[in-house]
Amino acid sequence: MNNKLRRQIVDMVRLGRDGHIPSSFSIIDIISILYRDYLKVDHQNPQWKERDYFILSKGHGCLALYVVLKEHGFLTDHDIANFCKKGGILGEHPDSTKVPGVEACTGSLGHGLPFALGIALGLRIQHQKNRVFVLAGDGECHEGTIWEAANVACNMELGNLCLVVDWNGSAAQLMPKDDLPAKWRAFGWNVEVIDGHSEDEIKKAFNQVQFSPQGVPHVIVAKTTKGKGVPLIEGHGTWHHRIPNDEEYKIIMEALR
Amino acid sequence: MKKIRQQFADTMLALGQEDPKLAVLVGDISHFILQPFAKACPGRFYNVGICEPTMISMAAGLSKVGLYPVAHTIAPFIIERSFEQIKLDFCYQGLPGNIITVGSAFDYANLGCTHHCYDDFALIKSLPRTQIIYPASCEEFDILFRETYRNDHLTLFRLPEYQHEQPIDLSLIKFGKAIRLIEGADVTIIAAGPQLKNAVVAAQQLKKQLKSVEIIYIPTIHPLDESMIHQSASKTKRVIVVQEHHVNGGVGDDVRRIVMDISGVKLIDLGIKGFVRDYGSYAQLCQVAGLSVEGILEAVEQILVPHP
Repeated sequence: MNNKLRRQIVDMVRLGRDGHIPSSFSIIDIISILYRDYLKVDHQNPQWKERDYFILSKGHGCLALYVVLKEHGFLTDHDIANFCKKGGILGEHPDSTKVPGVEACTGSLGHGLPFALGIALGLRIQHQKNRVFVLAGDGECHEGTIWEAANVACNMELGNLCLVVDWNGSAAQLMPKDDLPAKWRAFGWNVEVIDGHSEDEIKKAFNQVQFSPQGVPHVIVAKTTKGKGVPLIEGHGTWHHRIPNDEEYKIIMEALR
Repeated sequence: MKKIRQQFADTMLALGQEDPKLAVLVGDISHFILQPFAKACPGRFYNVGICEPTMISMAAGLSKVGLYPVAHTIAPFIIERSFEQIKLDFCYQGLPGNIITVGSAFDYANLGCTHHCYDDFALIKSLPRTQIIYPASCEEFDILFRETYRNDHLTLFRLPEYQHEQPIDLSLIKFGKAIRLIEGADVTIIAAGPQLKNAVVAAQQLKKQLKSVEIIYIPTIHPLDESMIHQSASKTKRVIVVQEHHVNGGVGDDVRRIVMDISGVKLIDLGIKGFVRDYGSYAQLCQVAGLSVEGILEAVEQILVPHP
C-alpha cells in the first residue's frame, strides 16, 4: 500500500480539478513496484534504445503513472503542478507526444494492447531483448480489440509481452459473467491471478514471468479495489470521476496517513 | 496485364531484400502473392487474420520501434472500421507508416455496399501528416512507393483493380506532382485513377468537335499539385473533376478551394453521390455513378454553355 503516492494523486486532482482517483488507486501499487523493481528505463534518456516499454492501456488511470514518473525523475514539480492546466504537459489521459516516459497516447480504450503487440513484434524482428509491459482495465476488456490482440499475441507467440489486467470489478457491474482468468486461458496465455495490492504477490508474479522472443504471452490478472486505501471512495459509486471537497479531502488524507 | 496488386507484391520483394526495416502485415488477403517476400525476408511478413483495427495498431507499434510498416487489406475494413486506430495510433502520435488498400470505391462491385469504400480520401485527408497516392498503373505504384515509404508521413496507397492503360512518361511520375497528359484551352479535366481512361477517350471525341480539352492526371491525391491545377484553371476557366470517390470531401472539394480565387471559374464534380446500391460489373457501376465517357461529354457540354 503506497499511501504517499496516493496522497499525491489526490493533491493533483484537487489542483487540476479533474482526474480519476479510484481507477488510479487500484493500479498504483502495481505501477510503483513495476518501476521500482523491474522496468529498465532511464529518466535522463527516455528514448533509450535498450529500455523496457510500459504502456498504460487504461489511460484514465494516468495519475498513478504520473506520480510514479515523478518519483523516478521523468517529471518535475512544475509538470505536476500544471496538471490539466493550459500549457502543461499532463492531461487526464497520457500523451506520448508530450510526456517523457509515456510510450503511447491512450484513453480511448482498447488501443494500448494491440499497439504493444506491434512494439513486441518489432523488437523481435530486430532481435532486441527489451521487454514490453501493458496494463489494461477489466472494463477495457469489453473492447473487441483486446480479444483480437489476445488471439494474435498467442498465435504470434509474443513471449516478450506481459499484460497486467486491473480486475477491479468495473466490468462486472455491467456484465457479471466476468471470469477473466478463464477467458485469458482460453486465448492461450499464461495466466497468473494475484492480489494487486499485495507487494509480495505482485513481485512473485513478475518474478515468475519468463520473457522470451518467441513464447507464450503472459497475463497477470490482478484483483484490485477501486479507490483502495480510502473507505470513503472504495467501490463503484460516485467517486469514479469526482473531485473531493475540503471536508472530503480531510477525510481522504486522514485515511492515507 | 499485370495487376497492380501483383506489382505491390513484386515491389515488396525487391525492396524488402534491400531494406531490413520493411515489414508487411496483411489482413487475410494477398498472402499467396506475398509468399516470395515472406521467404526472402523471414520474420517480416505476418497474416494477422481478420482484425483490421488491431493490424493498424500493431503497424503503428512496429513504426514506434523504427520499422517501416505496411498494413494491407480491403479498403472499407482498414480505413473506415480502423479510422480511430489510424487517427490516434499513427497520426496523433506522429508515427509514419504505409496503408495499402484494394477494393476501394466499388471495385468489388458485386460484393455490395459492405465492400465498397468511397470516403477514404476524405477520412485520411482529415488527419494531419497524411499522404494519399492513387497509382493506376504498376509503374506508378513502384515509383511512388519507393519514393515515399520511409518518409515521416502516414501514406495511403489506394490500389485500383483496373488501370488507366495510358502511356505516361515515367520521368513525370513524382510524388506530389500532377501530370499534364494533354494540353488544351477550353476545359480542364482533372482525372483520378482509372477514370483517366474515360477522360482521354472523351477528349479524343471532343477534339473531333474542335473542342480543346486539357487533361491533368493526379497520381498524388493528397497533397494535390495546386500549382498545376491553378495554372490550368486560370487558362480554361472551366474545370471538371472525375473521381471514384464521394463528392463530399473528395478531390473536387480540394480543387474548388484551389481555384476559388479565379474570376469566373466554373467547376463540375463528377463523383459518387450517396450509396451505390446496384450490383453488376465495375464498368456498369461506373455508368450508374456517371463516371463514364458519356458522363464526361455531358459535363463538358454543360460547362461550355456560355453565361446568359
